[in-house]
Amino acid sequence: MDTTTADASLFWDRAAQGELVFQHCDDCAFVRWPAAGVCPECLGRGFTWKPVAPTGTVWSQVVYHRAYDTSLRERIPYNVALVELTCGVRLLTRLTGFGTADPVGAAVTARFEDTGDGPVPVFAPATGTFAPAAGTAEGNVS
Amino acid sequence: MTSQPRGAIRGRSAIVAAGNTEQGTVPGISADEIAVEALRRTLAEHGIAKSEVDGLITCKSYGGFGIDTEIGRLAGLNPDYSATLDYGTCNFSLHLACAVIDAGLATTVAIVYGTNQRSAGNRFGHPLGRQDEASVYGFLNVAGPAGMAFRRHQHLYGTTEEDLGRIAVSQRRYARDNPLAVFREPLTLDDYLAQPYLVEPLRRSDLCMISDGGACLIVTRADRADDFTDKPVHVMGIAQQSGLRDRQNADQWMRPWIERVAERIYPAAGIDREDVDALYIQDPTSVWVLQMLEMYGFVPPGGVGEAFRDGAVGFGGKLPLNTNGGQLSEAYMWGFLHLCEAVRQLRGEAGGRQLDGPRTAQYCSTFGFMKAASTILSVDRS
Repeated sequence: MDTTTADASLFWDRAAQGELVFQHCDDCAFVRWPAAGVCPECLGRGFTWKPVAPTGTVWSQVVYHRAYDTSLRERIPYNVALVELTCGVRLLTRLTGFGTADPVGAAVTARFEDTGDGPVPVFAPATGTFAPAAGTAEGNVS
Repeated sequence: MTSQPRGAIRGRSAIVAAGNTEQGTVPGISADEIAVEALRRTLAEHGIAKSEVDGLITCKSYGGFGIDTEIGRLAGLNPDYSATLDYGTCNFSLHLACAVIDAGLATTVAIVYGTNQRSAGNRFGHPLGRQDEASVYGFLNVAGPAGMAFRRHQHLYGTTEEDLGRIAVSQRRYARDNPLAVFREPLTLDDYLAQPYLVEPLRRSDLCMISDGGACLIVTRADRADDFTDKPVHVMGIAQQSGLRDRQNADQWMRPWIERVAERIYPAAGIDREDVDALYIQDPTSVWVLQMLEMYGFVPPGGVGEAFRDGAVGFGGKLPLNTNGGQLSEAYMWGFLHLCEAVRQLRGEAGGRQLDGPRTAQYCSTFGFMKAASTILSVDRS
Protein backbone atom coordinates (compact mmCIF):
# COMPACT_ATOMS: atom_id res chain seq x y z
CA MET A 1 0.00 0.00 0.00
CA ASP A 2 1.34 3.42 -0.91
CA THR A 3 1.91 5.92 1.83
CA THR A 4 1.48 9.66 1.77
CA THR A 5 3.90 11.74 -0.30
CA ALA A 6 6.73 13.95 0.94
CA ASP A 7 5.17 17.00 -0.73
CA ALA A 8 2.08 16.60 1.45
CA SER A 9 3.74 15.75 4.76
CA LEU A 10 2.88 19.15 6.24
CA PHE A 11 -0.79 18.64 5.37
CA TRP A 12 -0.90 15.44 7.44
CA ASP A 13 1.23 16.86 10.27
CA ARG A 14 -1.11 19.83 10.67
CA ALA A 15 -4.20 17.68 10.25
CA ALA A 16 -2.99 15.66 13.24
CA GLN A 17 -3.14 18.96 15.15
CA GLY A 18 -6.67 19.67 13.99
CA GLU A 19 -6.02 22.10 11.16
CA LEU A 20 -6.51 21.98 7.38
CA VAL A 21 -3.63 23.63 5.51
CA PHE A 22 -2.89 23.82 1.78
CA GLN A 23 -0.21 25.33 -0.42
CA HIS A 24 -1.11 28.85 -1.58
CA CYS A 25 0.90 30.02 -4.60
CA ASP A 26 3.09 33.06 -3.73
CA ASP A 27 2.69 34.40 -7.28
CA CYS A 28 -0.99 33.87 -8.21
CA ALA A 29 -2.56 32.81 -4.86
CA PHE A 30 -3.96 29.59 -6.34
CA VAL A 31 -4.76 27.05 -3.62
CA ARG A 32 -3.54 23.66 -4.77
CA TRP A 33 -4.09 20.02 -3.95
CA PRO A 34 -2.59 17.45 -4.35
CA ALA A 35 0.55 19.01 -2.93
CA ALA A 36 3.26 19.70 -5.51
CA GLY A 37 6.41 21.74 -6.07
CA VAL A 38 4.94 23.77 -8.93
CA CYS A 39 1.77 25.83 -9.27
CA PRO A 40 -0.39 24.29 -12.03
CA GLU A 41 -1.92 27.72 -12.76
CA CYS A 42 1.14 29.98 -13.21
CA LEU A 43 4.02 27.44 -12.97
CA GLY A 44 5.55 29.44 -10.11
CA ARG A 45 7.61 27.58 -7.55
CA GLY A 46 7.04 29.70 -4.45
CA PHE A 47 4.26 28.75 -2.04
CA THR A 48 3.14 29.15 1.55
CA TRP A 49 1.12 26.67 3.56
CA LYS A 50 -1.92 28.45 4.99
CA PRO A 51 -4.97 27.24 6.91
CA VAL A 52 -8.39 27.22 5.24
CA ALA A 53 -11.91 27.08 6.62
CA PRO A 54 -12.77 23.45 7.53
CA THR A 55 -16.10 23.65 5.71
CA GLY A 56 -17.47 22.36 2.43
CA THR A 57 -20.11 20.27 0.70
CA VAL A 58 -20.16 16.57 -0.19
CA TRP A 59 -19.60 16.03 -3.91
CA SER A 60 -20.14 12.26 -3.75
CA GLN A 61 -19.54 9.18 -1.67
CA VAL A 62 -19.04 5.43 -2.07
CA VAL A 63 -18.99 2.54 0.40
CA TYR A 64 -16.36 -0.17 0.04
CA HIS A 65 -17.76 -3.62 0.77
CA ARG A 66 -14.65 -5.31 -0.60
CA ALA A 67 -11.08 -4.83 0.62
CA TYR A 68 -8.79 -4.21 -2.35
CA ASP A 69 -5.79 -4.42 -0.03
CA THR A 70 -5.30 -6.89 2.82
CA SER A 71 -4.66 -4.01 5.22
CA LEU A 72 -8.25 -2.87 4.69
CA ARG A 73 -10.00 -6.15 5.50
CA GLU A 74 -10.94 -5.22 9.03
CA ARG A 75 -12.26 -1.83 7.98
CA ILE A 76 -14.94 -2.94 5.52
CA PRO A 77 -17.51 -1.69 5.06
CA TYR A 78 -16.05 1.81 5.00
CA ASN A 79 -16.97 4.93 3.11
CA VAL A 80 -14.86 7.33 1.07
CA ALA A 81 -16.19 10.71 0.05
CA LEU A 82 -15.06 13.68 -1.95
CA VAL A 83 -15.67 16.98 -0.19
CA GLU A 84 -15.52 20.26 -2.07
CA LEU A 85 -14.02 22.69 0.44
CA THR A 86 -15.08 26.32 0.61
CA CYS A 87 -11.54 27.25 -0.54
CA GLY A 88 -12.11 25.36 -3.80
CA VAL A 89 -9.97 22.31 -3.09
CA ARG A 90 -11.61 18.89 -3.48
CA LEU A 91 -10.45 16.54 -0.76
CA LEU A 92 -10.87 12.78 -0.54
CA THR A 93 -11.97 11.94 2.96
CA ARG A 94 -14.42 9.94 5.04
CA LEU A 95 -17.86 10.94 6.26
CA THR A 96 -19.21 10.33 9.71
CA GLY A 97 -22.49 11.07 11.44
CA PHE A 98 -24.84 10.74 8.45
CA GLY A 99 -26.48 7.48 9.46
CA THR A 100 -28.63 6.34 6.54
CA ALA A 101 -29.14 9.89 5.21
CA ASP A 102 -27.98 10.67 1.65
CA PRO A 103 -24.87 12.81 2.15
CA VAL A 104 -24.41 14.02 -1.45
CA GLY A 105 -24.80 17.78 -1.58
CA ALA A 106 -24.81 18.15 2.22
CA ALA A 107 -22.86 20.90 3.99
CA VAL A 108 -20.12 19.46 6.16
CA THR A 109 -17.48 20.48 8.68
CA ALA A 110 -14.14 18.82 9.37
CA ARG A 111 -13.38 16.94 12.52
CA PHE A 112 -10.24 14.99 13.23
CA GLU A 113 -10.37 11.31 14.12
CA ASP A 114 -7.58 8.96 15.02
CA THR A 115 -7.77 5.91 12.77
CA GLY A 116 -4.63 4.35 14.25
CA ASP A 117 -1.89 6.47 12.67
CA GLY A 118 -2.86 9.76 14.28
CA PRO A 119 -5.80 12.05 13.65
CA VAL A 120 -6.91 12.54 10.04
CA PRO A 121 -9.65 14.82 8.69
CA VAL A 122 -13.12 13.35 8.35
CA PHE A 123 -16.31 15.31 7.74
CA ALA A 124 -19.61 15.42 9.59
CA PRO A 125 -22.89 17.25 8.89
CA ALA A 126 -22.46 20.98 9.37
CA THR A 127 -25.68 21.09 11.36
CA GLY A 128 -27.13 18.51 13.72
CA THR A 129 -26.58 17.04 17.12
CA PHE A 130 -23.09 15.74 16.76
CA ALA A 131 -20.47 17.23 19.12
CA PRO A 132 -17.01 17.82 17.61
CA ALA A 133 -15.22 17.30 20.91
CA ALA A 134 -16.90 14.03 21.81
CA GLY A 135 -14.33 11.89 20.00
CA THR A 136 -16.39 8.73 20.18
CA ALA A 137 -15.86 6.11 17.53
CA GLU A 138 -18.72 5.85 15.09
CA GLY A 139 -19.46 3.18 12.55
CA ASN A 140 -17.71 3.51 9.23
CA VAL A 141 -20.83 3.32 7.14
CA SER A 142 -22.93 6.36 6.60
CA MET B 1 -6.27 26.48 -49.65
CA THR B 2 -9.18 25.19 -47.67
CA SER B 3 -8.74 24.43 -44.02
CA GLN B 4 -9.43 20.93 -42.82
CA PRO B 5 -10.87 19.98 -39.47
CA ARG B 6 -8.28 18.97 -36.90
CA GLY B 7 -7.34 15.32 -37.18
CA ALA B 8 -8.48 15.10 -40.80
CA ILE B 9 -6.94 11.87 -42.02
CA ARG B 10 -10.12 10.80 -43.70
CA GLY B 11 -9.73 7.69 -45.83
CA ARG B 12 -5.92 7.71 -45.79
CA SER B 13 -5.37 4.52 -43.79
CA ALA B 14 -7.24 1.27 -43.36
CA ILE B 15 -7.32 -1.70 -41.04
CA VAL B 16 -6.74 -4.87 -43.02
CA ALA B 17 -6.56 -7.47 -40.25
CA ALA B 18 -7.67 -7.97 -36.66
CA GLY B 19 -6.86 -10.98 -34.55
CA ASN B 20 -6.53 -12.23 -31.02
CA THR B 21 -5.45 -15.04 -28.76
CA GLU B 22 -7.77 -16.87 -26.40
CA GLN B 23 -8.93 -14.69 -23.50
CA GLY B 24 -9.37 -15.20 -19.78
CA THR B 25 -6.64 -17.24 -18.13
CA VAL B 26 -3.64 -18.03 -20.30
CA PRO B 27 -0.99 -19.40 -17.93
CA GLY B 28 2.57 -20.37 -18.76
CA ILE B 29 3.31 -17.62 -21.27
CA SER B 30 4.70 -14.14 -20.68
CA ALA B 31 2.76 -10.99 -21.52
CA ASP B 32 5.15 -10.09 -24.33
CA GLU B 33 4.95 -13.62 -25.75
CA ILE B 34 1.14 -13.35 -25.76
CA ALA B 35 1.46 -10.12 -27.76
CA VAL B 36 3.68 -11.86 -30.30
CA GLU B 37 1.26 -14.80 -30.45
CA ALA B 38 -1.54 -12.34 -31.27
CA LEU B 39 0.63 -10.92 -34.06
CA ARG B 40 1.42 -14.41 -35.37
CA ARG B 41 -2.24 -15.45 -35.46
CA THR B 42 -3.37 -12.21 -37.06
CA LEU B 43 -0.82 -12.44 -39.85
CA ALA B 44 -1.49 -16.16 -40.42
CA GLU B 45 -5.29 -15.86 -40.43
CA HIS B 46 -5.17 -13.05 -42.97
CA GLY B 47 -2.35 -14.41 -45.12
CA ILE B 48 -0.05 -11.47 -44.47
CA ALA B 49 3.71 -12.02 -44.52
CA LYS B 50 5.67 -10.77 -41.51
CA SER B 51 8.01 -8.99 -43.92
CA GLU B 52 5.12 -6.65 -44.84
CA VAL B 53 5.14 -5.19 -41.32
CA ASP B 54 7.39 -2.13 -41.32
CA GLY B 55 5.90 -0.41 -38.28
CA LEU B 56 5.29 -1.62 -34.72
CA ILE B 57 3.29 0.19 -32.05
CA THR B 58 2.92 -1.36 -28.64
CA CYS B 59 1.57 -0.10 -25.35
CA LYS B 60 3.01 -0.44 -21.92
CA SER B 61 0.73 -1.55 -19.18
CA TYR B 62 0.79 -1.52 -15.40
CA GLY B 63 2.95 -4.62 -15.15
CA GLY B 64 5.71 -2.84 -17.09
CA PHE B 65 5.43 -5.18 -20.07
CA GLY B 66 4.70 -4.28 -23.65
CA ILE B 67 7.81 -2.31 -24.67
CA ASP B 68 8.38 -2.22 -28.45
CA THR B 69 12.06 -3.12 -28.13
CA GLU B 70 11.24 -6.34 -26.29
CA ILE B 71 8.23 -7.33 -28.41
CA GLY B 72 10.15 -6.45 -31.58
CA ARG B 73 13.08 -8.60 -30.41
CA LEU B 74 10.78 -11.56 -29.70
CA ALA B 75 8.99 -11.10 -33.02
CA GLY B 76 12.19 -10.71 -35.01
CA LEU B 77 11.25 -7.35 -36.50
CA ASN B 78 13.45 -4.51 -37.78
CA PRO B 79 10.66 -2.02 -38.49
CA ASP B 80 11.13 1.39 -40.14
CA TYR B 81 9.22 2.90 -37.23
CA SER B 82 8.41 1.63 -33.76
CA ALA B 83 7.09 3.17 -30.55
CA THR B 84 5.55 2.33 -27.22
CA LEU B 85 2.66 4.28 -25.77
CA ASP B 86 2.29 4.48 -22.03
CA TYR B 87 -1.44 4.10 -22.54
CA GLY B 88 -2.82 1.69 -25.06
CA THR B 89 -6.60 1.43 -24.99
CA CYS B 90 -6.21 0.83 -28.69
CA ASN B 91 -7.64 4.10 -29.96
CA PHE B 92 -4.39 5.82 -29.01
CA SER B 93 -2.31 3.10 -30.67
CA LEU B 94 -4.46 3.27 -33.79
CA HIS B 95 -4.24 7.07 -33.96
CA LEU B 96 -0.45 6.95 -33.75
CA ALA B 97 -0.40 4.30 -36.49
CA CYS B 98 -2.53 6.52 -38.73
CA ALA B 99 -0.27 9.51 -38.10
CA VAL B 100 2.86 7.45 -38.78
CA ILE B 101 1.41 6.15 -42.03
CA ASP B 102 0.22 9.61 -43.06
CA ALA B 103 3.69 11.02 -42.37
CA GLY B 104 5.27 8.34 -44.55
CA LEU B 105 7.34 6.92 -41.68
CA ALA B 106 5.96 3.42 -42.28
CA THR B 107 3.40 1.81 -44.57
CA THR B 108 2.04 -1.22 -42.73
CA VAL B 109 1.88 -0.96 -38.96
CA ALA B 110 1.12 -3.72 -36.47
CA ILE B 111 -0.43 -2.55 -33.21
CA VAL B 112 -0.23 -5.26 -30.60
CA TYR B 113 -1.12 -5.85 -26.98
CA GLY B 114 -0.62 -8.79 -24.68
CA THR B 115 -1.11 -9.27 -20.99
CA ASN B 116 -0.92 -11.99 -18.37
CA GLN B 117 -2.23 -9.77 -15.58
CA ARG B 118 -4.78 -12.33 -14.44
CA SER B 119 -2.27 -15.15 -14.14
CA ALA B 120 0.20 -12.73 -12.54
CA GLY B 121 -2.39 -11.72 -9.93
CA ASN B 122 -2.40 -8.01 -10.76
CA ARG B 123 -5.65 -6.83 -9.19
CA PHE B 124 -5.28 -3.09 -9.62
CA GLY B 125 -5.48 -2.62 -5.86
CA HIS B 126 -3.20 0.40 -5.84
CA PRO B 127 -4.35 3.97 -5.29
CA LEU B 128 -5.18 5.64 -8.58
CA GLY B 129 -2.67 8.24 -9.64
CA ARG B 130 -1.14 10.76 -7.30
CA GLN B 131 -3.85 10.95 -4.69
CA ASP B 132 -2.32 11.36 -1.30
CA GLU B 133 -5.50 10.57 0.59
CA ALA B 134 -6.20 7.42 -1.42
CA SER B 135 -3.88 5.32 0.72
CA VAL B 136 -5.08 6.94 3.95
CA TYR B 137 -8.79 6.39 3.31
CA GLY B 138 -8.58 3.21 1.22
CA PHE B 139 -9.69 4.74 -2.09
CA LEU B 140 -8.51 1.87 -4.28
CA ASN B 141 -9.45 0.42 -7.66
CA VAL B 142 -11.26 2.21 -10.49
CA ALA B 143 -14.51 1.18 -8.76
CA GLY B 144 -13.93 4.06 -6.30
CA PRO B 145 -14.00 6.98 -8.73
CA ALA B 146 -16.49 5.21 -11.00
CA GLY B 147 -18.86 4.66 -8.07
CA MET B 148 -18.50 8.27 -7.01
CA ALA B 149 -19.20 9.47 -10.53
CA PHE B 150 -22.35 7.36 -10.63
CA ARG B 151 -23.52 8.57 -7.19
CA ARG B 152 -23.01 12.12 -8.42
CA HIS B 153 -24.96 11.32 -11.58
CA GLN B 154 -27.78 9.92 -9.44
CA HIS B 155 -27.75 13.11 -7.38
CA LEU B 156 -27.92 15.33 -10.48
CA TYR B 157 -30.34 13.35 -12.66
CA GLY B 158 -32.13 10.83 -10.47
CA THR B 159 -30.50 7.94 -12.31
CA THR B 160 -31.33 4.59 -10.74
CA GLU B 161 -29.29 1.44 -10.18
CA GLU B 162 -31.67 -0.29 -12.62
CA ASP B 163 -30.67 2.26 -15.26
CA LEU B 164 -27.02 1.36 -14.75
CA GLY B 165 -27.73 -2.38 -14.58
CA ARG B 166 -29.28 -2.38 -18.05
CA ILE B 167 -25.84 -1.66 -19.52
CA ALA B 168 -24.27 -4.84 -18.12
CA VAL B 169 -27.40 -6.88 -18.97
CA SER B 170 -27.36 -5.71 -22.62
CA GLN B 171 -23.68 -6.44 -23.02
CA ARG B 172 -23.99 -9.89 -21.47
CA ARG B 173 -26.72 -10.71 -23.95
CA TYR B 174 -24.32 -9.98 -26.81
CA ALA B 175 -21.54 -11.96 -25.12
CA ARG B 176 -23.70 -15.06 -25.08
CA ASP B 177 -23.24 -15.19 -28.86
CA ASN B 178 -19.49 -14.49 -28.69
CA PRO B 179 -17.31 -17.61 -28.31
CA LEU B 180 -14.38 -15.39 -27.30
CA ALA B 181 -16.20 -13.97 -24.27
CA VAL B 182 -15.10 -14.95 -20.78
CA PHE B 183 -18.58 -14.40 -19.29
CA ARG B 184 -21.37 -16.00 -21.30
CA GLU B 185 -23.89 -17.15 -18.69
CA PRO B 186 -27.28 -15.37 -18.76
CA LEU B 187 -27.61 -12.15 -16.78
CA THR B 188 -31.02 -10.59 -16.09
CA LEU B 189 -31.70 -7.27 -14.43
CA ASP B 190 -32.95 -9.19 -11.36
CA ASP B 191 -29.70 -11.19 -11.32
CA TYR B 192 -27.81 -7.92 -11.46
CA LEU B 193 -29.78 -6.31 -8.64
CA ALA B 194 -29.32 -9.42 -6.48
CA GLN B 195 -25.54 -9.12 -6.66
CA PRO B 196 -23.94 -7.70 -3.53
CA TYR B 197 -22.20 -4.35 -3.80
CA LEU B 198 -18.44 -4.34 -4.27
CA VAL B 199 -18.04 -0.60 -4.00
CA GLU B 200 -21.56 0.71 -3.42
CA PRO B 201 -23.34 1.67 -5.64
CA LEU B 202 -21.43 -0.66 -8.04
CA ARG B 203 -21.77 -4.43 -8.30
CA ARG B 204 -19.69 -7.24 -9.78
CA SER B 205 -21.23 -6.86 -13.25
CA ASP B 206 -20.42 -3.13 -13.32
CA LEU B 207 -16.72 -3.87 -13.25
CA CYS B 208 -14.57 -5.71 -15.74
CA MET B 209 -12.49 -8.68 -14.69
CA ILE B 210 -8.76 -8.50 -15.29
CA SER B 211 -7.92 -11.14 -17.90
CA ASP B 212 -5.00 -12.56 -19.86
CA GLY B 213 -4.92 -12.38 -23.62
CA GLY B 214 -3.55 -10.70 -26.69
CA ALA B 215 -4.85 -8.77 -29.67
CA CYS B 216 -3.41 -7.27 -32.84
CA LEU B 217 -4.51 -5.05 -35.70
CA ILE B 218 -2.71 -4.40 -38.97
CA VAL B 219 -3.08 -0.89 -40.38
CA THR B 220 -1.84 0.19 -43.77
CA ARG B 221 -2.01 3.07 -46.25
CA ALA B 222 -5.47 3.05 -47.77
CA ASP B 223 -4.16 2.73 -51.33
CA ARG B 224 -2.27 -0.41 -50.27
CA ALA B 225 -5.27 -2.02 -48.52
CA ASP B 226 -6.43 -3.96 -51.57
CA ASP B 227 -3.06 -5.75 -51.64
CA PHE B 228 -4.01 -7.42 -48.37
CA THR B 229 -7.78 -7.88 -48.44
CA ASP B 230 -10.96 -7.15 -50.34
CA LYS B 231 -12.55 -6.13 -47.03
CA PRO B 232 -10.55 -3.15 -45.75
CA VAL B 233 -12.01 -1.08 -42.94
CA HIS B 234 -11.22 2.57 -43.54
CA VAL B 235 -10.29 5.03 -40.81
CA MET B 236 -12.59 7.97 -41.52
CA GLY B 237 -11.88 10.17 -38.52
CA ILE B 238 -9.90 10.37 -35.32
CA ALA B 239 -10.03 12.83 -32.42
CA GLN B 240 -8.49 13.12 -28.99
CA GLN B 241 -8.58 15.33 -25.92
CA SER B 242 -6.41 15.20 -22.85
CA GLY B 243 -7.40 16.19 -19.33
CA LEU B 244 -3.93 16.11 -17.85
CA ARG B 245 -4.76 18.44 -14.96
CA ASP B 246 -6.42 15.40 -13.46
CA ARG B 247 -7.49 16.26 -9.93
CA GLN B 248 -7.21 19.97 -10.66
CA ASN B 249 -10.08 19.57 -13.11
CA ALA B 250 -13.51 20.32 -11.79
CA ASP B 251 -15.68 17.20 -11.65
CA GLN B 252 -12.62 15.09 -12.43
CA TRP B 253 -14.45 11.79 -12.35
CA MET B 254 -17.29 13.02 -14.58
CA ARG B 255 -14.62 13.90 -17.17
CA PRO B 256 -16.64 16.62 -18.95
CA TRP B 257 -13.67 17.42 -21.21
CA ILE B 258 -14.44 14.22 -23.16
CA GLU B 259 -17.19 16.26 -24.81
CA ARG B 260 -14.52 18.03 -26.86
CA VAL B 261 -13.73 14.75 -28.62
CA ALA B 262 -17.40 14.51 -29.54
CA GLU B 263 -17.24 18.04 -30.99
CA ARG B 264 -14.30 17.08 -33.23
CA ILE B 265 -14.89 13.49 -34.30
CA TYR B 266 -17.94 13.91 -36.53
CA PRO B 267 -16.56 16.86 -38.53
CA ALA B 268 -13.23 14.99 -38.84
CA ALA B 269 -15.00 11.93 -40.26
CA GLY B 270 -17.46 13.93 -42.34
CA ILE B 271 -20.47 12.07 -40.96
CA ASP B 272 -23.29 12.76 -38.55
CA ARG B 273 -23.84 10.93 -35.28
CA GLU B 274 -26.98 9.43 -36.80
CA ASP B 275 -24.84 7.65 -39.42
CA VAL B 276 -23.20 5.41 -36.78
CA ASP B 277 -24.48 1.85 -37.27
CA ALA B 278 -22.61 0.27 -34.35
CA LEU B 279 -21.14 1.96 -31.30
CA TYR B 280 -18.28 0.75 -29.15
CA ILE B 281 -17.46 2.29 -25.77
CA GLN B 282 -14.53 1.08 -23.71
CA ASP B 283 -15.91 -0.13 -20.41
CA PRO B 284 -13.65 -1.00 -17.51
CA THR B 285 -16.81 0.01 -15.65
CA SER B 286 -20.41 0.35 -16.81
CA VAL B 287 -20.28 3.97 -15.62
CA TRP B 288 -17.95 4.84 -18.50
CA VAL B 289 -20.63 3.64 -20.94
CA LEU B 290 -23.24 5.79 -19.24
CA GLN B 291 -20.96 8.83 -19.32
CA MET B 292 -19.89 8.50 -22.94
CA LEU B 293 -23.37 7.76 -24.29
CA GLU B 294 -24.29 11.16 -22.91
CA MET B 295 -21.12 13.04 -23.79
CA TYR B 296 -21.16 11.90 -27.42
CA GLY B 297 -24.79 12.96 -27.61
CA PHE B 298 -26.40 9.57 -28.22
CA VAL B 299 -28.71 10.18 -25.26
CA PRO B 300 -29.52 13.34 -23.31
CA PRO B 301 -28.01 13.76 -19.82
CA GLY B 302 -29.85 11.45 -17.46
CA GLY B 303 -31.44 9.58 -20.37
CA VAL B 304 -29.44 6.36 -20.43
CA GLY B 305 -31.94 4.24 -18.52
CA GLU B 306 -34.78 5.33 -20.76
CA ALA B 307 -32.70 4.71 -23.89
CA PHE B 308 -32.08 1.08 -22.92
CA ARG B 309 -35.71 0.56 -21.82
CA ASP B 310 -37.11 1.99 -25.03
CA GLY B 311 -34.72 0.14 -27.34
CA ALA B 312 -32.87 3.22 -28.57
CA VAL B 313 -29.52 1.61 -27.68
CA GLY B 314 -28.27 -1.82 -26.66
CA PHE B 315 -29.11 -5.42 -27.53
CA GLY B 316 -32.01 -5.59 -29.98
CA GLY B 317 -32.14 -1.80 -30.07
CA LYS B 318 -31.83 0.78 -32.81
CA LEU B 319 -28.16 1.48 -32.03
CA PRO B 320 -26.13 -1.67 -31.24
CA LEU B 321 -23.65 -1.03 -28.45
CA ASN B 322 -20.59 -3.14 -27.54
CA THR B 323 -21.74 -6.13 -29.58
CA ASN B 324 -18.77 -8.17 -28.31
CA GLY B 325 -20.00 -7.91 -24.73
CA GLY B 326 -17.43 -5.25 -23.97
CA GLN B 327 -14.89 -5.53 -21.21
CA LEU B 328 -17.70 -6.27 -18.78
CA SER B 329 -18.42 -9.64 -20.43
CA GLU B 330 -15.92 -10.38 -23.19
CA ALA B 331 -12.45 -9.66 -21.76
CA TYR B 332 -10.43 -6.79 -20.34
CA MET B 333 -7.73 -6.25 -22.96
CA TRP B 334 -7.60 -2.47 -22.46
CA GLY B 335 -10.25 -1.95 -25.11
CA PHE B 336 -8.38 -3.66 -27.95
CA LEU B 337 -11.17 -6.17 -28.49
CA HIS B 338 -13.76 -3.42 -29.03
CA LEU B 339 -11.83 -2.32 -32.09
CA CYS B 340 -11.34 -5.91 -33.24
CA GLU B 341 -15.10 -6.40 -32.93
CA ALA B 342 -15.90 -3.21 -34.84
CA VAL B 343 -13.64 -4.40 -37.66
CA ARG B 344 -15.26 -7.85 -37.69
CA GLN B 345 -18.78 -6.42 -37.76
CA LEU B 346 -17.91 -4.11 -40.65
CA ARG B 347 -16.30 -7.04 -42.52
CA GLY B 348 -19.33 -9.23 -41.87
CA GLU B 349 -17.27 -11.69 -39.84
CA ALA B 350 -19.00 -11.50 -36.45
CA GLY B 351 -20.64 -14.93 -36.58
CA GLY B 352 -23.79 -15.43 -34.53
CA ARG B 353 -23.88 -11.83 -33.37
CA GLN B 354 -23.38 -10.31 -36.85
CA LEU B 355 -25.39 -7.12 -37.36
CA ASP B 356 -27.32 -6.50 -40.55
CA GLY B 357 -24.76 -4.94 -42.86
CA PRO B 358 -23.30 -2.13 -40.75
CA ARG B 359 -21.27 0.35 -42.81
CA THR B 360 -20.01 2.73 -40.11
CA ALA B 361 -18.81 2.10 -36.56
CA GLN B 362 -17.53 4.40 -33.83
CA TYR B 363 -15.17 3.51 -31.00
CA CYS B 364 -14.85 5.77 -27.95
CA SER B 365 -12.26 5.15 -25.26
CA THR B 366 -10.38 6.81 -22.46
CA PHE B 367 -7.21 6.39 -20.51
CA GLY B 368 -8.56 6.75 -17.01
CA PHE B 369 -9.04 10.40 -16.09
CA MET B 370 -6.31 11.79 -18.32
CA LYS B 371 -7.09 11.12 -21.97
CA ALA B 372 -9.98 10.44 -24.32
CA ALA B 373 -10.10 9.35 -27.96
CA SER B 374 -12.53 8.30 -30.64
CA THR B 375 -12.33 6.73 -34.08
CA ILE B 376 -14.89 6.38 -36.83
CA LEU B 377 -14.49 3.41 -39.17
CA SER B 378 -16.28 2.64 -42.41
CA VAL B 379 -16.39 0.04 -45.14
CA ASP B 380 -16.45 3.00 -47.54
CA ARG B 381 -13.35 5.08 -48.18
CA SER B 382 -15.28 8.23 -49.05
